[in-house]
Amino acid sequence: MTENKTESMGKVWANRIKVLLISGILASIANMIYEWRTHAATIHMPWEVFPALLYMFIIVVVSCLLHDLIARLFPKLKVPVILYVALITTILSFPFTGWFATTMATEFAKIGLLPLCTPILAYAGISAGKDLDTFKEQGFAIVCTAILAFIGTYIGSAIIAEIVLRLTHVIL
Amino acid sequence: MKDFKENFNLKDWKVHVLCLVIMVIAELIGTQKISITGPGGKGIAFSLIPMLFAIIIGIVLGGTKRISRKTMETASPYIGICVMFLIVKLSCSIGPAWKSIVAAGPALILQEFGNLGTILLSMPLAVLVFRMGRASIGAAFSISREPSIAIVGEKYGLDGPEGSGVMGAYVTGTVLGTIFYGILASIFVGAKIFHPYSLAMAAGMGSASMLTAALAPLVEAFPDMADEIQAFASTSNTLTNADGLYMSLLIGLPLTEWMYKKLSKNHPQKGVKPVEAASDIVVEKEDI
Repeated sequence: MTENKTESMGKVWANRIKVLLISGILASIANMIYEWRTHAATIHMPWEVFPALLYMFIIVVVSCLLHDLIARLFPKLKVPVILYVALITTILSFPFTGWFATTMATEFAKIGLLPLCTPILAYAGISAGKDLDTFKEQGFAIVCTAILAFIGTYIGSAIIAEIVLRLTHVIL
Repeated sequence: MKDFKENFNLKDWKVHVLCLVIMVIAELIGTQKISITGPGGKGIAFSLIPMLFAIIIGIVLGGTKRISRKTMETASPYIGICVMFLIVKLSCSIGPAWKSIVAAGPALILQEFGNLGTILLSMPLAVLVFRMGRASIGAAFSISREPSIAIVGEKYGLDGPEGSGVMGAYVTGTVLGTIFYGILASIFVGAKIFHPYSLAMAAGMGSASMLTAALAPLVEAFPDMADEIQAFASTSNTLTNADGLYMSLLIGLPLTEWMYKKLSKNHPQKGVKPVEAASDIVVEKEDI
């Protein structure tokens, strides 16, 4: 059922590079429209966020290389690519990296979080159609259970966070 | 290298153009505030952000058969690739805020156990009300993203009732997840029960798109705290990415099994019919 397609590395990388380039362009357009729609103080043209996207692109490519290398050396270790992306970016964003941290902070500020997400969800929306028929077959019971699970993790984490934040006096 | 050259082309241009069109329309619609006033003047208010319109438009087009199955399948692996830009943007907030993160460390670590809230809330409903049988275990032990399917597949097999449960919850999440979290978070922001920091930590549940949907209303409502909010949410999400698998295997599933035994003792189970079309679902390796 869960198809583990074993695609050649060549195809995986062709898709990675292609989609990163295209979705980068898409995100820069979404960013421009978003800033225009929300009356932002400065509206960044797509080419103005190019440095930010280039740095992001380099970080992602390096993370993917590291992921593939470690996956080859330790085939049993299953670590998702995004964890590498998150860890490498986090390390670079610490003040001790000097130039990296300041450049990332100033450049990445030009592209908003929300417009970066719009192309992702557009792709997600396009592909969600293939699961729609299966979704319609689901009983009311499973859909309700899943939704309660969604609420459960959100409220569960919020309650614990709120209590501990208060006990440790981070918030009043 | 040969494979790279063969596949590095724009034969799939339709998918990208469709994505561009959907994205531009969604951004032009912009953020829409919606308030529903019930009897007695009390109501709920929430806002729909552009990215939610993007997924809604896609689903409507797919549901009305305006997108070919091939296009849908081509688009699927692209989600996991372009989500990586988002992860970079989210994670770069962690370094500059490291002092706040250390201060909030205990809360950040302990709230990870809140992810087990899925079980406490949905198991009683699934077993006592719907009498779903062992399918309830698959559907209730987590938010049923890709790693959960892998766990159930390995432990129980996906052909059994547990498999039906997790696959059913997975498609529910794919179709409704982001929209649902966008609205839920928006309601909680308005309700002012929790501090924005707590809601930020709650938003990190291991799925980048659900995280952003849950984070967006917070960032919009508290622009002064945006940096910390983003840092807490990213840290929580990265923690869940790292510990989620072990949390499910070591605590989540055993707890779910135990609750199932206790709850189903005096409540005969009907079971859920197996999902026939589940074999059509291709689960991508990358988590969205």
